Amino acid sequence: MGNSSKLHRLQSMTAALVGVFFFNAIVGVFGLRLAIAGLAAFVLGAVVVCVAFPAQGAES
Amino acid sequence: MKLDPSIIARIQFAFTVSFHIIFPTMSIGLASFLAVIEALWLKTKKPVYLEIYKFWLSIFAMGFGIGVVTGIVLSFEFGLGFARFAQMAGPAIGPLIALEVLTAFFLEAGFLGIMLFGLHRVGPKLHFFATCMVAIGTLISASWILSANSWMQTPAGVAIRDGHLTVLSWRHVLVNPSWLYRLPHMLTAAYLTASFMVAGVGAWYLLKGKHQHFARRTLALGTAFGTVLIAGQVFIGDILYGTMLKYQPSKMQAAEGFWEKQSQSPAPYYWFIVPDQNNQRNRFQLGIPYLGSIWLTHSLNGRVEGLRNTPRDFQPRMGMVFYAFRIMYGLAMVMFAVGVASLWLRFRGKLFSSRWFLWILVFMTPSGIIATLAGWYVAETGRQPWVIYGVLRTVDAISPVPAQALLSTLIAFVCVYAVFITAFLVFAFRIIRRGPGEVPPHAEASGSVKNAFRPYVLDSPERLVNSSITQRS
Repeated sequence: MGNSSKLHRLQSMTAALVGVFFFNAIVGVFGLRLAIAGLAAFVLGAVVVCVAFPAQGAES
Repeated sequence: MKLDPSIIARIQFAFTVSFHIIFPTMSIGLASFLAVIEALWLKTKKPVYLEIYKFWLSIFAMGFGIGVVTGIVLSFEFGLGFARFAQMAGPAIGPLIALEVLTAFFLEAGFLGIMLFGLHRVGPKLHFFATCMVAIGTLISASWILSANSWMQTPAGVAIRDGHLTVLSWRHVLVNPSWLYRLPHMLTAAYLTASFMVAGVGAWYLLKGKHQHFARRTLALGTAFGTVLIAGQVFIGDILYGTMLKYQPSKMQAAEGFWEKQSQSPAPYYWFIVPDQNNQRNRFQLGIPYLGSIWLTHSLNGRVEGLRNTPRDFQPRMGMVFYAFRIMYGLAMVMFAVGVASLWLRFRGKLFSSRWFLWILVFMTPSGIIATLAGWYVAETGRQPWVIYGVLRTVDAISPVPAQALLSTLIAFVCVYAVFITAFLVFAFRIIRRGPGEVPPHAEASGSVKNAFRPYVLDSPERLVNSSITQRS
């Protein structure tokens, strides 16, 4: 397995773990305050990614 | 065989309301989506937004029409199957439904014609205003209906005197304890439904290599909206869960699949059970250890209250509530995962080229509708045996109508609605197969009855070309 493939797999797993963490935070596992903070951080992060990376070919 | 009118009345209402809710869910979501798309078109003047608008307007129009017709049926069914409920709850529910008609229906009816047929007849700003009014109308409509239904879940602001219900406070009837949470939960469900539909259709075109520009734009928009919305929905859902645990504990006890007064510690999170209501136990159960404590009590060793805490006569049927909740929650988790994956693929610049992801989006196209239906099953079956929680039992709300009459109308509803859904699916698939920007001029919404009866209105472009060649020769 090449280094780039390993790196890709590692990055994908990190992204999945970040997703699992945010899901649990938003459903209140760590309390209401962290749920609100988690929701705000996720939404802000999603908006930043969508604006900064508008997906190739979607804009013209 | 002796038929039980209370069972037939319930099956009939369950069938008609399940059918109905599909269409308002779509039209609430699509109306707001269309308003956003038209705003983007007005702002950027990019033709792709007009293409997206016209394409989804056709599907919105069909769904809206079926939603209105099947909604009217429900009001009549109060009288047909649940006359005692109508008699008792009329003073509280009646004005809410009347206000829905007076405010939302009138607003929608006033501007729907301009929205559907006015694109080339009025100025773009007036047309955008009409789209916004229709979108706002759908929100107002949902607010009244959710207020009425939430009042049935958590009745407030009324007193029972000599068997009759009297409204003491309209403010408390309207803003009852669950309405503030159930309304945003339902509206977000509608927006999610539209987002996944839009993304799914875009993904389908990309997989087929057709309408690339349209497909990329719709997929990008659908996944972006869906990702933000599902996070909000999960949060609202959790708050609503806590509210219902306080006001309707039996519903949430049934939804989690525990019978014991206090579950074992740590509690597992069950994904599959075979409940035995008569013996108040599960014949079989399969779950993930610790997860029940973590998700439901927010601690590692918390115990969960089971359905035996509710007297037997007041218990809902566990199986229905449990599986409806699992479908809704399971789909929410999948939607969340899809949202995270879409952000990751967007970041890597592979959102449109990852075929596995495009196929997932195609399969997720109806996910919003399925999750919404499951959510309503949780709400309605979890409230049983009450029709107005703690006030009126469902068996006491049934009309004194022979079971045969209810059965015959049920059969009629099934037949008529089968025609509706077939027609909707046939036309929706034809619109999708035909694609955007390939609408023959006479198939554009014009409001003309003459045009509506032309034979090729929704026909394929190939047949139109062949037909015109034949006519010329």
